[in-house]
Amino acid sequence: MAEPSPKFDPIGILAALERRRVSFIVIGGLARVIQGTGEITRGIDIVPSMKPENLRRLDAALTDLNARDSDGTAPSLEETIPNEPLLELTTDRGQIKVVPEPAGTRGYEDLRRAATREPLGAGVRSSVASVGDLARMLADLGREEDVPRLQRLRRLAEIELGRGLEL
Amino acid sequence: MRSAALLREARLRAGLTQADLAERTGRDRSVIARWEQGVVAPSVETLTDLVRACGFDLPLELVRYDASVDKELRKTAILSPERRLSTLVRDLDREEMADRG
Repeated sequence: MAEPSPKFDPIGILAALERRRVSFIVIGGLARVIQGTGEITRGIDIVPSMKPENLRRLDAALTDLNARDSDGTAPSLEETIPNEPLLELTTDRGQIKVVPEPAGTRGYEDLRRAATREPLGAGVRSSVASVGDLARMLADLGREEDVPRLQRLRRLAEIELGRGLEL
Repeated sequence: MRSAALLREARLRAGLTQADLAERTGRDRSVIARWEQGVVAPSVETLTDLVRACGFDLPLELVRYDASVDKELRKTAILSPERRLSTLVRDLDREEMADRG
């Protein structure tokens, strides 16, 4: 019988990563929600710094979260990360995708410049990709189903800029 | 300003620096920086040329404007990131309860 999906607890996942001092940026649906698109998402996508020490910290955080792949086995970041475009895992607090180099970007160092640290509750302050970079990633994927999301992001960018100019 | 975001996105997706784009288009790097910051906006024709220099096109067509999306986004924009996240968790809980009947 298929394993029931664990209840999605984004703060629990982010807190586990921060406890291990993992350097990462939140991207994808959850980042769009945090930026204000008001959509529904059931997982978290992150771009980690690829420095070996950081990957060791990420490994430890994933172990804390009881992360496992589709076979139910614990991931080996050292083996997987250099060979796969993304690592999709289930944890006790929901789904997490580790994406070293998202579409249209050069990874962590590229996204870090425009990312902002956002207070998300329970003392968690995570780096979240900028609206512009979220649009860049979505646009580069070129998927028809992402068009409405992309349009919302572009409208959000305009609204944000308008609010900035009003201040 | 939509032109600022589009120009930056096109340049970054093409893997170009502002200096690279300036050289490709024969424009001053500082002008490109001002366009990307939204300080001033290029004309539609200039924007199209810049985007094409990045290897993309900018098809212009009229589509219906849905004001309700803006209204919804403006409502979310005034919430803190923490509140946006807690709203998501609440909505997911409601969905789950509805699924259970």
